[in-house]
Amino acid sequence: MAWEYYLVVMLVYLGTDLLAVWGLNLEFGVAGVANLAYIVVVAAGAYTYAVLTLGPSSNLGGFQQYIGGFTLPWPLALLAGAAAGAVVGTIIGITGLKRLRQDYQAVAMLVVSLMVATVVSADVGLFNGSAGLALIPNPFSTLDPETARWAYVGLVAVCCVLGFFVLRRFTTGPLGRTLRAVRDDDVAASAMGKDVIRLRLLVQAVGGGMGGLSGALLAGFIGGWSPSAWVYIETLAFLSCVIVGGIGSDRGATLGTVIVAVLLLQGVQFLPQFPSSPGLSEDLGWIVLATATIVFIWLRPQGVLPERRPRYLGKAVSPPPG
Amino acid sequence: MGPAVLTVEGLEKHYGGVRAVDGVSFNVERGSITGLIGPNGAGKSTVLAVIGGYIAADAGRVHLDGADITKMPMHQRARRGLVRTFQMARVFGNLTTLENLLVAAPQQRGERVAGVIGGRRSWRRQEGALVEQAQGLLATFGMPTKADDLARTLSGGQKRAVEIMRALMMQPKLLLLDEPMAGLSPSLTRQLEDVLLGLAQQGLSLLLVEHELDTVERLCATVVVMAQGRVLSQGHMSELRLSREVQDAYVIG
Repeated sequence: MAWEYYLVVMLVYLGTDLLAVWGLNLEFGVAGVANLAYIVVVAAGAYTYAVLTLGPSSNLGGFQQYIGGFTLPWPLALLAGAAAGAVVGTIIGITGLKRLRQDYQAVAMLVVSLMVATVVSADVGLFNGSAGLALIPNPFSTLDPETARWAYVGLVAVCCVLGFFVLRRFTTGPLGRTLRAVRDDDVAASAMGKDVIRLRLLVQAVGGGMGGLSGALLAGFIGGWSPSAWVYIETLAFLSCVIVGGIGSDRGATLGTVIVAVLLLQGVQFLPQFPSSPGLSEDLGWIVLATATIVFIWLRPQGVLPERRPRYLGKAVSPPPG
Repeated sequence: MGPAVLTVEGLEKHYGGVRAVDGVSFNVERGSITGLIGPNGAGKSTVLAVIGGYIAADAGRVHLDGADITKMPMHQRARRGLVRTFQMARVFGNLTTLENLLVAAPQQRGERVAGVIGGRRSWRRQEGALVEQAQGLLATFGMPTKADDLARTLSGGQKRAVEIMRALMMQPKLLLLDEPMAGLSPSLTRQLEDVLLGLAQQGLSLLLVEHELDTVERLCATVVVMAQGRVLSQGHMSELRLSREVQDAYVIG
């Protein structure tokens, strides 16, 4: 049934978006690293999953080229996707090692994102260039289609639960507090004995791992992955989820993903179509997203569900507006 | 009194042709309060920044407790007990006052990978002890009701107090204070002076950059006078006030 297929697609997208937004919120919202190259770790996970499950490139008459080419079991390929995200995230993090101010860091990372996309599009030998990879195996392809679809939803749900569990270990407790201190003032934090570089790389690795897992899950579900799936603007969509939901707040990032990635970006698909301008609804989605982000930055910078701090005299505090 | 806790030898820092710090040497004795004074632009804050590791020296050596720390990054100096406060208080604005203090505690289990894997159970006990210690400090500084306020909502004087409490949470050997009295009311200044004197009596060593000469005279056993990047003179404030050289460089009120 069409609506059921649509629901499955929505749930898988929601789950993979959640993993990515949680990872970016850990990096940007909690630790203050403005990683505008975040989508690159998602791509790293997706490509890794693809080349580890596709088998040798000569298999299908060699119609697509790529490095590697293995037939690992899918759970291993998913883990490898997460690991690839962690490694690539750490490498991206190194660009911010010099005491770059956050705005310069953001620019440096945006450039990294553009450079990687250019190289991967141009070098056909890597991941089949701009055409991308197709026929990426679905883990449940042996089941009947309907069961396979819901099995995939289950897999994504399990990954989300595990991902959230790992995430909370980093955003709460003494470590989460120290990361937020680094975000608020990195100089003061290092004057208090905090190894800011090590902490930032740690966060880049963990956030990268979550992004990589998100990409691997997407590639296995869609069955294809190409540079058009990870243009730099996708990072901004994740960033909007963080800003609308509440910077530094895990609950906020979750709600922000539901609002931005699902309600806004999918909602516009239901608007009446104009045959004269076929791409209108998608463009409209970006316009609505950008507008919502700006409105929040102006009027409610703390987001819908602001970061809350533990209280010792009573219950948790929320920041005053402004 | 043992060997000096801090030894600064021939420190130099140039910015283009400007010699901001030009061969500065002095010691800070253990358990003493040493003042660093001089007119605006004398290079006091630069010296403090070089000692703290925020700025790299062009020449010279800094020893803490006999160990050469000249090339050590800031966070490692802090872990060895060299703790500084800033001229403009730098609190972690989106953390509560109490959390600002807790962050500063060294060797927290919950900050490490072991704590991430072990979860709350592995650090709960240590955390409880730290919370008690922090609440004790807040009471001492007269801010027990501010524990749960976000630090960015505090007044300027309260932020400065948070900086000093935070430094004390680190159990420092040597405290570098950059104009801790600036902008404080006279009564708060007196209170802070008493706190600093008490700390020195407990064996803490302090190096204090301060404009308020009366404060310096009340607190500091030794005073180092800087002008134009050099050490002009050092000794006790009462002697220095009489020195013609110092009077010329630093119009003493």
